[in-house]
Amino acid sequence: MGNLVDGFGVALTPENLLWALVGVLLGTFVGVLPGIGPALTVALLLPVTYDLEPISAFIMFAGIYYGAMYGGSTTSILLNTPGESASIVTAIEGNMMAKRGRGAAALATAAIGSFVAGTLATVALTFVAPVMVRVALRFGEAEYVALIVLAFVAITSMLGDSLVRGLASLFVGIAIGLVGIDSMTGQSRFTFGVPQLLNGIDVVTVAVGLFAVGETLWVASHLRKGPTEVTKIDGAAWLTREDLSRSWKPWLRGTALGFPIGALPAGGAEIPTFLSYSLEKRLSKHPEEFGKGAIEGVAGPEAANNASAAGVLVPLLTLGLPTSATAAILLVAFQRYGLNPGPLLFDEDPELVWGLIASLYVGNVMLLILNLPLARVWVKLLSIPRPLLYAGILVFAGLGTYSLNNSTVDLVVLYVLGAVGFAMRRFAIPVAPAVVGVILGPEMETHFRRALQISQGDYSTFVTRPIAVSIFAVALLMLVGPLVVRRMMESRSAG
Amino acid sequence: MSTDDVPNRRRERLYELGVAAFVVALGIVVVWQTRDIRVSPMNAKIGPRIIPYIVGSGLVVVGVWYAVDVWRGTPTVGGGEDAEDVDADASTDWWTIVWIAASLLAYLALLERTGFIVASSVLFFVAAVGMGSRRFARDAGVAVVLSTAVYLLFTRGLSLRLPEGIVPLIVSMAGA
Repeated sequence: MGNLVDGFGVALTPENLLWALVGVLLGTFVGVLPGIGPALTVALLLPVTYDLEPISAFIMFAGIYYGAMYGGSTTSILLNTPGESASIVTAIEGNMMAKRGRGAAALATAAIGSFVAGTLATVALTFVAPVMVRVALRFGEAEYVALIVLAFVAITSMLGDSLVRGLASLFVGIAIGLVGIDSMTGQSRFTFGVPQLLNGIDVVTVAVGLFAVGETLWVASHLRKGPTEVTKIDGAAWLTREDLSRSWKPWLRGTALGFPIGALPAGGAEIPTFLSYSLEKRLSKHPEEFGKGAIEGVAGPEAANNASAAGVLVPLLTLGLPTSATAAILLVAFQRYGLNPGPLLFDEDPELVWGLIASLYVGNVMLLILNLPLARVWVKLLSIPRPLLYAGILVFAGLGTYSLNNSTVDLVVLYVLGAVGFAMRRFAIPVAPAVVGVILGPEMETHFRRALQISQGDYSTFVTRPIAVSIFAVALLMLVGPLVVRRMMESRSAG
Repeated sequence: MSTDDVPNRRRERLYELGVAAFVVALGIVVVWQTRDIRVSPMNAKIGPRIIPYIVGSGLVVVGVWYAVDVWRGTPTVGGGEDAEDVDADASTDWWTIVWIAASLLAYLALLERTGFIVASSVLFFVAAVGMGSRRFARDAGVAVVLSTAVYLLFTRGLSLRLPEGIVPLIVSMAGA
């Protein structure tokens, strides 16, 4: 608790409040732009923080992170363009509300729900993180290998409906992560004689290439002709008494689903939003409204989405384990400052960790105060002509990638990955596993080899340690479970 | 993409098999390149080759699995979700891709020669026109203003280093 108070001491200095405000505004601004999800928002905004002190940079990132989530829900509701799979539900139900002239209420329940969920989940983060740190301190190399494998399985088996496509994406990502100097022996690998590749391929390049350039190519080549219709909203975003009474329980239930699932090293935000949606549908007194714009169907999933966004920070901060594409890019931000999230960071740099957590509370309050009145300003962004919007994305993609190392080789890599991203989009292969593979692949290799060095080459080290074995078992279950269930369903319907 | 008619479905399956073949090929390249990684005898057992071998073979296995999946299963309709901006049923407009590719290559060629402002303006303008914008004056104006604003913001405000190129030269010549 004392730590958190110190954290607020850091977060509430005028300078850091300003950075939080800048982060929240930038995050919302970029997040509202159609086609840009939270992961890409954070990736594109990385260069903005290169010049800052670590603490200020991360306070700004906290604002960008929550702001991008919020901006994404605005786009989903008014444009039916989910920036990421976690806002698909919001896009369906919220857009229906908006089309029925209830856009203002949909935005309001999303904003207030995000605030409630974000704040409660940040409280939970405050209490869970220290406990996790104590557990994590007892983890050895084998346990980390198991955890990373679990994260791999989670992100591949939960996204999309084709396991093999997820795995293809993941393995391509891990292969990209192999490029460069081997951190343990100094040997160069897969550099094909290009010296600029010795430092490896930056995750930012991968994310910007796959998400931004790939997405731009895909959208541009399928652009709907004619002007896009932004659903209008009248009045400020606000809730009537009835809206409120229909919203508050879904907010709390969404939070209760979102945080724990996000906090598990196997989390992600997709599952809780879908769970919350079907739960609200079952519990609602107005089930007939679902699919036609039910406010519960926006309130619950949006709360779940934001709560899991806070939950994802638990494995990220305490284990250094990103379980979403956005978290992977946040991890890159840490590494750029030479910081390694994990149990030790809480000891080595409590000011930074707790300042970051405190600024999550601050950012949430700012988002609520800003976004209820500003909703109509953000809406204007949605009518930017698409050619200008996507041309702008390309400019920022180029800037963000080039400024990593001031090298045009990175641009060539960016373009190649952009073509890959286009193909992935074309063939419905999910992109997030590749991004997580790039960053966790090298981590896994390091832990894997250290584990074997400690055990002097004895592979049984992975199956004789109880914690490691249990984590592997869970991973296996998650991988095979869905296949078995499907097989059983098929044979039942056949017989 | 309509998958109702047979020739289309057959072609779609062929494309997907191509993707699977790419994954297998990538795996083979990884395994083949791994053999070239130098390993000192000290690291012979747990060296820099283990994981690449696993990843390479993994790619081959996943690629074959993918191919089998495509061969047996129903083709997934590519492109995923429909959204307001995207007409997933429309066929790919390759001319737009060519335009965007041209704008990106121009950026690559110009960035370190003529500087960030010129390269970004060209990128923006060519890409916007390629995507069907026909208000040339507005697009050119936005391109120059955006590029200049971004340049000033990042180099003056945030001390990022970006190639300045020929712009200062032009400015000083115009001033003289």
